[in-house]
Amino acid sequence: MASLLRVLRTGRAFRGLGNALTRQSGSLRRGFYGSALRLENESKSDKPPSSSSTMYHEHYQAHPNEKGDSIRSNMSYQDQSGEHGEEYETEEQLQARIFTAALEFVQQYGWSMEAIAAGAETLGLSSASTGMFSNGAGDLVLHFIAQCNSNLTDILTEQHKHVQLGQAETKKTSDFLRDAVECRLRMYIPYIETWPQAMSILLLPHNIPHSLKHLSTLVDDIWYYAGDRSTDMNWYTKRAALTGIYNTTELVMVQDSSPDFQDTWNFLDNRIQDVVNMATTIKQLKNIAGMNQRQ
Amino acid sequence: MQRAANTALHGCAQAGGPAHVGLTSSRAYGVIPPPRDPEEKEMLHRILRVDHAGEYGANRIYAGQMAVLGRTRTGPLIQEMWDQEKKHLEKFNEILAENRVRPTALLPLWNIAGFVLGASTAVLGKEGAMACTVAVEESISEHYNSQIRALMEKDPERYIELLNIIKEFRDDEMDHHDTGLEHDAETLPGYWLLKNAIQLGCKAAIYVSQRI
Repeated sequence: MASLLRVLRTGRAFRGLGNALTRQSGSLRRGFYGSALRLENESKSDKPPSSSSTMYHEHYQAHPNEKGDSIRSNMSYQDQSGEHGEEYETEEQLQARIFTAALEFVQQYGWSMEAIAAGAETLGLSSASTGMFSNGAGDLVLHFIAQCNSNLTDILTEQHKHVQLGQAETKKTSDFLRDAVECRLRMYIPYIETWPQAMSILLLPHNIPHSLKHLSTLVDDIWYYAGDRSTDMNWYTKRAALTGIYNTTELVMVQDSSPDFQDTWNFLDNRIQDVVNMATTIKQLKNIAGMNQRQ
Repeated sequence: MQRAANTALHGCAQAGGPAHVGLTSSRAYGVIPPPRDPEEKEMLHRILRVDHAGEYGANRIYAGQMAVLGRTRTGPLIQEMWDQEKKHLEKFNEILAENRVRPTALLPLWNIAGFVLGASTAVLGKEGAMACTVAVEESISEHYNSQIRALMEKDPERYIELLNIIKEFRDDEMDHHDTGLEHDAETLPGYWLLKNAIQLGCKAAIYVSQRI
């Protein structure tokens, strides 16, 4: 589904496109949420897909001399040799900085333009700079989500490295999933009071494609690091199951008032256990029916 | 040992997160180069997705044919072609897993459709099975050729590994096509009709598998 949405997006954004990518700094069209990744991962080399945010928005001004290239968000304004290029900062980078600053004020003002205005002011900009955001609250939430996803990916790759170096043992799949989902949901804890508002913002029609995309890349990442390499229907069923688990646990979390959200983690444990049981049962049924063939 | 993993986890309680790590793939040279941008990634993934679906379908077609003709004289011949398709499928499974390509969601459909096609043409006898093979292999070869052309147009050096694999598989498929012709495919009554119908179906399947 992520690919489908991505296809729709790229189709729309690049109708009648020209040519080459310029890797130079300067007027490059980039995704909003890509900038969040860039801030986090500036020195990351070309890594395989998982970037949760290669979005190409048509909101902001087209820069006159470029033709809407699609550069991977990992390619920052640094040039090939890795040093900081010119001082030029693109609009998304500026917006990303404003969003990051605005997160401090979310507790106070909620996920709203006021928070963004306050964030802009801490950066020394006038609060009128909120004029550049046509979908401020939604973009703020999406920025935050993209940031959380990339944090999670960092953590998972770090763990993966430890396992490969033999410094840690491979976890069981169910444990891995539980830890990954718990880790990811814990990132919401500082904002948990206002999280229901954020969730409802994500359900607005113009935000749904983006939030679904972030969700699907999140789930894909988690399964990838859990070791899933399936290339058949299991690819879909596993991701669907994990999406269900994640969404329901998130809903439980916003209503949870137990110390350290213990109820939520128990709920998560039980849901994962359910899925594991269901998988085992299906396998047994297949064995009985003689359907379990060699792969 | 768990502690390293645990400390990394507990670090995630803060919204800031731990220092990031550059991720390098464990193999220096994979079959496809790391995509430079989302457009290229989309293109490569489509190619791989449809090729994987194609080999999967071909596999099922031969399985259907074997189910009917497995114990006849043509059994060993079909088995041999099937084994080659199995190798192709294995290779694509490997590539898909390595590059985190999403497989087509229509795999269950191709599973059933392929088996039914193979079995029903095999019911028409050896000539029927061979006619089906000729039609399908011709479609697949044409499809691989157009992919090769597209990749060559873009950047033959960059995609050299992928091109080599597709070329090799295309050659195998052409072999199967020729084998089918050698074994009296054309003597089937209604050959022209059957062949075109199957090829139309293949074209539709290819179109759809690239996108879904």
